[in-house]
Amino acid sequence: MRLICLLLALLALPVNAHEMTPAYPVLKPSISDKISYTKLKLYNRRQDINYYAISVHTGDWKPVPFATQQRIIKIKHNKSTFFEVYLRNSDIDRAVYICTESKTEKVTKQLTFISSRICSKIKQK
Amino acid sequence: MKPLALFLLLLASPVFAVDAPITGTVEPKCSVWVETNAVYGSPLPYKLSTLPNEGGVKSVIRIDVAQANYYKARFTWPNSFVSSPPLNDSVTFTGETVIGQVSDSNMSNYPKTTYNNVSEFSPLSIAGSTWFVTSSTASYGSTKALPSGTYVANIKAECIAL
Repeated sequence: MRLICLLLALLALPVNAHEMTPAYPVLKPSISDKISYTKLKLYNRRQDINYYAISVHTGDWKPVPFATQQRIIKIKHNKSTFFEVYLRNSDIDRAVYICTESKTEKVTKQLTFISSRICSKIKQK
Repeated sequence: MKPLALFLLLLASPVFAVDAPITGTVEPKCSVWVETNAVYGSPLPYKLSTLPNEGGVKSVIRIDVAQANYYKARFTWPNSFVSSPPLNDSVTFTGETVIGQVSDSNMSNYPKTTYNNVSEFSPLSIAGSTWFVTSSTASYGSTKALPSGTYVANIKAECIAL
């Protein structure tokens, strides 16, 4: 009985997680010989978040120019999505991290909020 | 003739041998779980605090890593308000992040580096779940009363591949 109560209590807990894979994305050649790309998967299990921003950084967290379908992805709770990040071959050596960061809508009733960011590290050849 | 046709028809029936493979991938993965959102209490007219003995609630963030030594965790507590009523004096922010619950007792010994308003735990050298507890306080001017209104601050939790 206790076990059932515990199980029910656990099931009732809200799930709020942010996940991104792979940890080490590999850049592949694209249809343009000057551009490489990689594909990542973002999973939103945060009930309070519907938007995630994509960014690319150097090893010392300076921004690196990149292209993607949408820099801010709208993703519903408990849904996952794939996104592609395109980098110029001339930027590959300095691009180290691809990150997704949760974005809170401006109208918030909370007194504090927690933003989550997950960064994958580009696998260098 | 009819039985022969039926026989041939049966022979022509496709026979399916269906395999149902189960596949799985084990890969380094990090999940950031927001378990408790912090709430500021106002123990004194000039102070906001997430400490429970001052009427607040600390944030609890769980980080799950599927494999050891692939990620580090970084937590940034607020050093400004995201939104607040107009303030004409400085606000002093303090905060800290500590390891709370752990799924393996050795996780309590993760190396910690603190600088500015950031605490970094690197590497997350044991696979499993670690709960990180972040607190924040804000003191206004030289004990001036904070103007009434809503104050919003942001705690940032990061999981960064090593």
